[in-house]
Amino acid sequence: MLALQLAINGILLGGLYVLLAQSLNLIFGVMGVVNLAHGGFIVVAGLFTYWFTIRSGVSPLVVLPMAFIAMGAIGALVQRFLIEPLMRFGSRAELLSLMITFGLSYLLVDLALQLWGADFVSVPYLQSSWTVAGLAFNQALVIAGIFAAFISAALYAWLNLTLSGKALLAASQSPVGAICCGIDVGRVRLVAFALGVGLAAAAGVLVIIVTPLAPETADDFTLLAFVIIALGGLGNYLGVAAAALVLGLVQSAAGYFLGGSVEYILPYVLLLGVMMLRPQRFRRAAS
Amino acid sequence: MAPRRRGILLWARRASGLVLAGAALVLGMNAAWAAGPIVVGATISETGPLAADALFQLRGEQLAIAKANAEGGWLGRRIVLKYYDDKSSPGTAVRLYQRLITEDKADLLLGPYSSLVTVAIAPLINKYKMATLEPGASVPTIYVPGNKWNIQPVASSTTYLHQLLPLAQKDGAKTVALLGLQSAFTLACDQARTAQAKRLGLKIVYSTTYALPQPDFSSIALAIKNARPDVVLACTYYPDAVGITRALHEQGYAPRYLGETVGPVEPAFIAALGPLANRILSNTSWWPNFKTPGNRTFIADYKKKFGEMPDYHAAAGYSAVEVLGAAVKATHSLDQAKLRRWLLTHTVQTVQGPFKVDANGRAIGATQDMVQIQNGVLKLVSPPSLAQAKVLVPYTGS
Repeated sequence: MLALQLAINGILLGGLYVLLAQSLNLIFGVMGVVNLAHGGFIVVAGLFTYWFTIRSGVSPLVVLPMAFIAMGAIGALVQRFLIEPLMRFGSRAELLSLMITFGLSYLLVDLALQLWGADFVSVPYLQSSWTVAGLAFNQALVIAGIFAAFISAALYAWLNLTLSGKALLAASQSPVGAICCGIDVGRVRLVAFALGVGLAAAAGVLVIIVTPLAPETADDFTLLAFVIIALGGLGNYLGVAAAALVLGLVQSAAGYFLGGSVEYILPYVLLLGVMMLRPQRFRRAAS
Repeated sequence: MAPRRRGILLWARRASGLVLAGAALVLGMNAAWAAGPIVVGATISETGPLAADALFQLRGEQLAIAKANAEGGWLGRRIVLKYYDDKSSPGTAVRLYQRLITEDKADLLLGPYSSLVTVAIAPLINKYKMATLEPGASVPTIYVPGNKWNIQPVASSTTYLHQLLPLAQKDGAKTVALLGLQSAFTLACDQARTAQAKRLGLKIVYSTTYALPQPDFSSIALAIKNARPDVVLACTYYPDAVGITRALHEQGYAPRYLGETVGPVEPAFIAALGPLANRILSNTSWWPNFKTPGNRTFIADYKKKFGEMPDYHAAAGYSAVEVLGAAVKATHSLDQAKLRRWLLTHTVQTVQGPFKVDANGRAIGATQDMVQIQNGVLKLVSPPSLAQAKVLVPYTGS
């Protein structure tokens, strides 16, 4: 029974990690854009969700499509006016995008501070568990996990089974080749970045019903997401989903048997191990 | 001498006397203005994970200084609070206190919020020999002979929730689970409660520390559930207090007693948890019903200015300024050595109770009392002489 409960807790935690990581995986793993503002988008969406639900009384899940669309639009603007102009710098675009999004992350955190203050806030929603055969299923994490599974499957299907998804992969592998094939590379990147930011916002809406958020926590999410996609393989959706689930399971067991401190450092210890033993995992899947 | 000439001379003498008196008055006033305000320097965590509680401390300091200015200031001079945001970062606080001391030339200093940040600046305070009251630092290891310029106006972290275990034991509790966030204050509290549990003969069935950020406390909650302690005592700040409470509920365990140090007294805690917060025990070094000098005025002024009730962090900030003002006025000086000697040897009655420290600057006058959330409202439940309500058990998580 203990093992089952630990496994359930771990899988649900892993589902949250999938949610945090997949959108960054899309932007970084496939487009090659180092989006250090990833955590900022998550936190802004989460805090907006808190502000909106407290005032309107609606369920935070109602906010999810609003946040996805609104932040997706913002992501499109960011891509069009900040990121796309960097593409003409060729191989330096990755470093330049890192610098741009680094500044953007501070902008988002400061915006959140100005709008909602520095306090940790949380939405009192789905704070219980469903009990099935004596096993507890955290409600908030179940909802997050369902969305995560859907996002992972949808992303995989889109990138590998649709023309537009394949166009994105082609554009990231060889922009010149893609242009020669008649692919509007700029438009494809715009859609991908907007989608990535929209998904990050959706993650933020769900994260705030799981754990308290404050503007300053943005960097924590960015770092955790990078660790997860590094473990799963850049641009590898199934790999990231698997890595997130495995991490959740290992953390769940480690936290139970070895304590909270070990649970906390585990992702970073695993990352070090993977970097030392299998550094080839850090090549982008599209490369 | 002709009468008319005598009259002119007399008039001239009187006129010159008036001119000289006027000049002396103007020069004297200019001298006072030229002295400028007394600058009290501080940092506060306006942002970062400590901001929720730090804001209250800052407000308390601001209110006390405004009151002191309304009463004529100190040494006939206006008082100005010059503060910076340390972002809850010890490293940032060190740089900022360096600036306050060497560039801003602050006349006096107040410490930052939290033991975590204060531990970092304590050596700097000693280096520059500034007698500094630390209203946000309860960890006792700061106040040792080597750190002689840091002075503690609040109860030690080792006293947080010290009433809980004896109370629970009297009620028949035999087992306890102890949790501690990895931070200076919370670890000191955790160690003190662990030692207390052992002294009382309570069995510690589970014990762990953890770090933030921790998005999920399910593992810890499941371990606690399987250990089935009578008491869960967590040395926390706000976000982990919320996380642990939720996780215990989600894993389906409600101990008979649930105590959390920092977090439950903040209004946001009850808002975040709703019914899950009911019957959680916490601590406070100040309460509105304290019959301490100036307490009613403090509460009224605070509510008027900030639109809500103060908490014990605000009272700590306010009290620190009260004590500092008392020292300045008593010594008629801003000399740091004189101020320090006075602070170490005198008792000052403040809104949160008596300020008194030992030879190392460690608080021996301040105390921690116990509160409990009852139906969405915080009630003082200990000490019995001031209690507004009895402790309600068990914690139901609903």
